[in-house]
Amino acid sequence: MKILIADDSRVMRQIVVRTMRQAGFGDHDLIEASNGREAFDMAKAENPDLILSDWNMPEMTGIELLRQLRASGSDVKFGFVTSESTPEMKDQAQAAGALFFIVKPFSAERFDEVFAPILG
Amino acid sequence: MSVEVEVNENDLAEMVEQVWESYLDPEGINPLIPTYDENQPSEVHSSVSISGSWTGHIVYACSIEAARRAAAAFLAMEPDEVSQEDLSDVLGELANIVGGNVKAMLPPGAFLSLPQVVLAPESTARFPNTERISGVYGIWDGEPVSISMWHSRADNNQEDGA
Repeated sequence: MKILIADDSRVMRQIVVRTMRQAGFGDHDLIEASNGREAFDMAKAENPDLILSDWNMPEMTGIELLRQLRASGSDVKFGFVTSESTPEMKDQAQAAGALFFIVKPFSAERFDEVFAPILG
Repeated sequence: MSVEVEVNENDLAEMVEQVWESYLDPEGINPLIPTYDENQPSEVHSSVSISGSWTGHIVYACSIEAARRAAAAFLAMEPDEVSQEDLSDVLGELANIVGGNVKAMLPPGAFLSLPQVVLAPESTARFPNTERISGVYGIWDGEPVSISMWHSRADNNQEDGA
């Protein structure tokens, strides 16, 4: 599977990649984008199977990214990995079609719990 | 009118503890040991601003050595391999993580800024019309680290100007 990780923080992208490996999902093809706009373009060009996105990013936020993907006809599996988590954000995410909401700081166990059903 | 903040020192300490458990001290051998000294020195700091239902700043301040060790822990490298970019990025992420967790405890309608990193002591920062309302101050592996919350009194301007 191809997994796109969208986060403006290089550090957090590295941590997400490392945690994916620790949780046993390191064999998947992991690609990265540094903001929502870049993630949108990569999603169109690379056709990932899953997108893990930060919420707060320059150029285009994670929720805008999800909405634009859906508006463009993409039904790629999508979830948030973010330090922010409020009930209103979770509602918006769910309404826009997000599958999960992982809050930073996160553990490999949390990744396993969320991704095992999705990635098998 | 801004609401009273619902995040107290214990909440902040719990968030900080989670960051240590997840990233800075996953094996539980180097916790942040409280000093309760809000005036402890720092050499670098990062901050995020929150606006909307609550207005203020979350500031992460520490020594350069503590920032280097944090970057090494985050990036799984040795402290002497850490570049200035690594150090800045990790400092920003630390403020972002704590700020995001603080935001989650605030009433709906709070907005988080992207992090700002300043490679100079926290004492050089000036947040107009703010007061420190809470903080966690400690020593990590012999180095000072503090996380503090500053509330903006902007809503008092009406009274002041009346």
